[in-house]
Amino acid sequence: MDKSVLRTENLSVSAGKKSILNPVSLKIPGDGVFGIIGPSGAGKSTFLKTLNRLCELTPGLQINGQVFHRGVPLYHHGVDVDALRKRVSMIFQQPVVFPTSIFANVIFGVRHTETIPKKDWPDLAERALRQAALWEEVKDRLKKPGKELSIGQQQRLCLARSLATDPEIILMDEPTSALDPGSTEAIESLIHQLKKQQSIILVTHNMRQADKVCDLVAFIGLQDGTGTLLASGSLDELRSRNNIPGFEDYLCCE
Amino acid sequence: MKRKFFDLLFRTATCLCVVFSCAVLLAIIGFIVKQGSSAVSRAFLTGEITGAGASGGIFYNLVGTGILLATTFLVSAPTALSIALLHGVYLRNYRHREKITILLYILNGIPGILFGIVGLVVFVQWFGWGKSWLAGGILLGFMILPTVSVTLIERIASIPRKYIEAAAGLGLRQSEIVRSVILPQSAGGLATGLLLGLARAAGETAPIMFTATIFAGATIPNGIRENPVLSLPYHIFILAQDSYSPEVNSRLWAAALVLVILVFAMSIVALPARLKIHEEADHG
Ligand SMILES: Nc1ncnc2c1ncn2[C@@H]1O[C@H](COP(=O)(O)OP(=O)(O)OP(=O)(O)O)[C@@H](O)[C@H]1O
Ligand SMILES: [Mg+2]
Repeated sequence: MDKSVLRTENLSVSAGKKSILNPVSLKIPGDGVFGIIGPSGAGKSTFLKTLNRLCELTPGLQINGQVFHRGVPLYHHGVDVDALRKRVSMIFQQPVVFPTSIFANVIFGVRHTETIPKKDWPDLAERALRQAALWEEVKDRLKKPGKELSIGQQQRLCLARSLATDPEIILMDEPTSALDPGSTEAIESLIHQLKKQQSIILVTHNMRQADKVCDLVAFIGLQDGTGTLLASGSLDELRSRNNIPGFEDYLCCE
Repeated sequence: MKRKFFDLLFRTATCLCVVFSCAVLLAIIGFIVKQGSSAVSRAFLTGEITGAGASGGIFYNLVGTGILLATTFLVSAPTALSIALLHGVYLRNYRHREKITILLYILNGIPGILFGIVGLVVFVQWFGWGKSWLAGGILLGFMILPTVSVTLIERIASIPRKYIEAAAGLGLRQSEIVRSVILPQSAGGLATGLLLGLARAAGETAPIMFTATIFAGATIPNGIRENPVLSLPYHIFILAQDSYSPEVNSRLWAAALVLVILVFAMSIVALPARLKIHEEADHG
């Protein structure tokens, strides 16, 4: 029986004639934090977006191969893409705060599901904000615009917004690269907390961060200009192998 | 040295052009104000037309223009919104979007008088409405459709993609994304486009002269068939044709002044929202 939460099978991405990602076959276990590392432009973000089919919003990208979520194929005409994206949530590199209040931002994803009545929204928002370690900082100004928060707080607001929809998997695309050290610290310790309930897949540029939070990593490098999965395993394991093309260069330059 | 000279020449020429166009604009406005302001009074705005325009006021002309503009609004707002959503959201094929844009530009190039003639054939004769406010409103609504749609399309296109991606990433359906991301962020564009379009529609004579408006003898319509309205631009048009007497002349300019103020007011109300477009696009 397949224990991985997500498994890709020959998943490749191209834009017209240009190949962006060579076929990737990778198993991502459900527990812990799975890291994706690699040089800039290797296709890490693109790969991440294939996992909840968000890449389909970008016109001109062709996706081949398959992704299995607990054994169920995702690229299949019967799949409810919106429901999938609710289960597999995405945090972006730059926090995307909607031009509305903090409260409305937190419940942005929830307000459209009929299953949660309006009267429960405040409690839900509080729980999500607490989970994202933001509650104490914003509890007195929930009606204020979300854009008034600092970038670090905005990123935690985005996290709270995702958590409010109770996702099973959270995809994070370099969530701390735009953040100051303090906020980075806060997000990293949050990831430690969250991984008990959620599977987290984290793209990171930062080896210190990968060491600190990731249980397993995949290294995506560039071969002939196309992103290629070159190795996966624990970071120590990857470091002890010395036949991974480009990995040493990547480590030394980070 | 030579480059500096051309630089200077170019700058001077640019300034002269700007000064010239501003001067022409100010001259026209100044002339209208000078000729018309003496006849604008409370009685003029609230009185009914009498003596073939030589006496009385323009109350029902204002009302009629208001009715026409309200109808124009009700026709063009939902239509433009549908077109813009089709263009910016529902049509994924670039070629189809291009077709819509081309159609809008063609529509924009059709002269007002053609709208009038088409309206005459379709509404007045074929539908048998005679002259009707509804026909005028519909025609004006279609005439300003390009202005409204293009403004809205541009506004929707300038919504940063990250918002749409983030909303989709939360599992919102397309209709929910339209409602909670696209509409709130483009409402300003709809308002701007409508105000600019209505400002243009307010002064149009050609589309309504055969189809919707008469010079005297109409008040508030009580149906569709044979229910014309009075209107400001047609009033000015008729008075201008036989403005021999000084009474008529001053009233003609007074009516023109009122129309100019109306149109200016609409354009100025639209200004803040217009400026905001660029602001958002810069920070996008
Ligand atoms: N829509 C697209 N059309 C064409 N090429 C694209 C498109 N999206 C991404 N690419 C290309 O795919 C490659 C991978 O991009 P991607 O953003 O996934 O890299 P990344 O590993 O996340 O880089 P970074 O670390 O800088 O974020 C880049 O060379 C990029 O130019
Ligand atoms: Mg990236």
